Amino acid sequence: MNGTFAFWAESLPALLSGMVVSLQVTAAVLVIGIPLGLVAALLVQSTVRPLRWLTLAVVEIGRGAPALILLQLAYYGLPSSGLQLSSMGSAIAALSWTTCAYTSEIIRAGLQAVPRGQSEAAMTLGLSRLDALRYVIVPQGMRVAAPALLGFAILMLQASSLCFAIALPELLSRAQLIGTTSFRYMEILLLAALLYAAICIPASLLVAAIERRLGQHAA
Amino acid sequence: MEQTAEARPIVEVSGLGKSFGAHRVLEGIDFSMRAGEVVAIIGPSGSGKSTLLRCLNQLEQHDEGVIDICGIRLQAGTPPPRKDMNDLRRSAGMVFQSFNLFPHMTVLRNISLPQERVLGRSRAQADERSRALLERVGLAAKADQYPARCSGGQQQRIAIARALALDPRIMLFDEPTSALDPEIGLEVLAVMQELAEAGMSMIVVTHEMHFAETVSDRVILMADGRILEEGPSAEVMRRPKAARARQFLQAVLNR
Amino acid sequence: MTAEGALLIAGGISWTVIVTLCAFGLGAALGVPICAMHVSRSRVLHGLAVVLIVILRSVPPIVWIFLLYFGIGSGWLSIGPVPAAIVALGVITAANMAEIYRGALKSIHPGQWDASHALGLSAWSEFKDVMVPQLFRVTLPSATTYLIGLLKDSAIASTIGVMEITYLAGYLASKQFGAALQIFAFAGALYILISLPLAAVARVADARLRAKVAQ
Repeated sequence: MNGTFAFWAESLPALLSGMVVSLQVTAAVLVIGIPLGLVAALLVQSTVRPLRWLTLAVVEIGRGAPALILLQLAYYGLPSSGLQLSSMGSAIAALSWTTCAYTSEIIRAGLQAVPRGQSEAAMTLGLSRLDALRYVIVPQGMRVAAPALLGFAILMLQASSLCFAIALPELLSRAQLIGTTSFRYMEILLLAALLYAAICIPASLLVAAIERRLGQHAA
Repeated sequence: MEQTAEARPIVEVSGLGKSFGAHRVLEGIDFSMRAGEVVAIIGPSGSGKSTLLRCLNQLEQHDEGVIDICGIRLQAGTPPPRKDMNDLRRSAGMVFQSFNLFPHMTVLRNISLPQERVLGRSRAQADERSRALLERVGLAAKADQYPARCSGGQQQRIAIARALALDPRIMLFDEPTSALDPEIGLEVLAVMQELAEAGMSMIVVTHEMHFAETVSDRVILMADGRILEEGPSAEVMRRPKAARARQFLQAVLNR
Repeated sequence: MTAEGALLIAGGISWTVIVTLCAFGLGAALGVPICAMHVSRSRVLHGLAVVLIVILRSVPPIVWIFLLYFGIGSGWLSIGPVPAAIVALGVITAANMAEIYRGALKSIHPGQWDASHALGLSAWSEFKDVMVPQLFRVTLPSATTYLIGLLKDSAIASTIGVMEITYLAGYLASKQFGAALQIFAFAGALYILISLPLAAVARVADARLRAKVAQ
C-alpha cells in the first residue's frame, strides 16, 4: 500500500502533464467543433439540395464511424494523399469532425425547441432570415442546447483518451508508458482513472446544476 | 373613374380561398377597407378568422384569390418578389395572441432592434423612439427590464409598441386579449382604442364584443370559412341578417 | 486496398458483433439490479448504486478495458482480450441501462400502479403483465440508440488485441501504408452499414409497438 502511494506520487507529474494535453485537445475540439455543429445544424435544413446532402453526409459519417477509426484515418490515412498531420493535428481534425456531427443534432433540437411564435414575430417585424437567426432563434436555441452541449464536452474529454492510439502524449498514453516500464499496470491505471473521475464527476455535477437553473427560468 | 390615393382601399381582398390539406379553411372571401378604418373580425372558433389575418401578411400563403394590401399585390400561387415582402413587413405590423416578445432581450432592446436592423436607425435614434412609444403605452419604467418580469397585459402593450416602432400603415391584431384575464385585457384594449382614435388602420380578430361594437367602424362576422355578415358595427352586432350570425351573437352578447 | 484486403477486414465483423451483443446482453441484465438498487428506499443501496453509476460513467471506457486486461489481467486473474472487452463494456452498459430503466419507470403513469392495485393484481402479475410491456416500449428507443453507440465503442477492443474490424484495418494499414486512407474509410463504412439495419429495426419496432397502444 505504501509502495502504491509513493509510486503514485512519483508518477503524478507525468500524468498531470498528460492531463494538460488531454484538456488542450478537448478545448480545441470544442472551440472548433461546436461552431461547425451550428453551421451544420443550419445547413442541414437548407433549401439548396447539394448543400443539404453534403452536410447530411458529413454529419452521418461523423456520427456513424467510431472515433478511433476517424483518428487513425487522419493520422495514418491522410499522409498517403499528401497531408501530413501531427498527432495533435490529427486528433483535433478527427475529433472536431465527431464533435461537429454530434453537436449538430443537439443544436438542431435546441433550435427547433424555440417556439414558432418567435420566428413569426421576427418575420412580421421585417427582420431578414439571417437577422432572425442571429438575434432571435440561435441565442434562444443555444440556451436550450447548453446542458446537452456541456454533457457532450465531458464525453469529449473522455474520448481524448482514444488519442493514445495515434501517439498523442495525453493522460492515458503517459499511464501506459509508465505501466509498460514498471509493470505496475493496476496502480498506474487506477491513478489515471482517478484523475479522469476527478474532473468528470465535478463537471457532471456542475452541468446538472446548470440544467436545473435553466429549467427554473424557463416558462 | 380615378381614385385619389386617399380613396384607394388600403386592403382589398377578392376571391380568397385556402385549404389545409383536405380541410377547406377559407372560401370566397371578399372585402375591402379604407385607410383609417378599424375593422373587427368576429366569429366562432374554427371560422378561419386568424387564418384570414395571417394570409394578409403572408404568415400563411393563400391558395386562391388576390390580396392588395398597402399597394402590394399578393397573387395566389405566385411567390411575391423580395422587395414586395420587405415592403409588406414594414407596412403591416402584427400583434399576436401570445405576445411573442424576445425573452432574452430587455424590453427596450425588443423595440429598438427591429428599428436598427430593418429601418437602419442608429441605436440612439431607435432607443429614443422606443422610449417614446413605451411612454405612449404607459410602460416607460419597464424599458430596462426583461419581458419575464412583466405581466401579460404589460407584455402585450410592449408588443404593440414594438410593432408601432416600424411606423406601419396598418396594424393587424390576432386575438390580442384572448390570453389575458378580462381585467388585464382592458389595459390592452385601452391602448388599442387610443391607436384607433389617432387614425391607425386596424384589423382586429377578437372575441371582445364590446370592443367590436364600440371601437371598430365595421365588423366582419365569419363562420365555417366564409363571411356571413359585414357592415357597420352597430348594424352587424344588433341587427344581423343571417340566422347563423344571430345564433352566434345571441350566445356571446349579454352573457 | 484489394478485394482480399476488404475481405480480411470484413472478417472482423463477427468479433465486432459478438463483443457488442454480449456486452449489451450483460449490461441489459446487470442494469436491472442496479436500477432496483437506485430506486430502492434503502439509503445504503441507493447510495451504492449512485456511486457505482457515477464512477462507471466518469472514466473513459478504454481506461476500464485497460484496467481489466492489463491491470487485473496482468497479476491476479488471467483474462483473455475478448472476455475483458465484453465485461468492461458490459459493466459500463449496465450503468447506462440502469439510468434508462429508471427514466422509463418514472415515465410510467402513476395511475397504472393504482389501477392494477385496485384490480387486485398480484405484485408479480402487476410486474409481468402491466409494467414490463410498457417498460419495454418506453426503453426501446433509448436502448437501441445506446446499442448503436456500443457498436462504435466496440472498436476500443482493438487496442487489447480483439481481432475485430478496427484491429484488422490497423493491421492491414501497417502492411500497406499507401492504402491506409481507403482501408480506414472502408472500415468506417462497415460500421455505418452495420448500424443501418439496427436503426431500421428500431424504427419499425417502435412504430409497431406504438400502433398497439392507445395514445
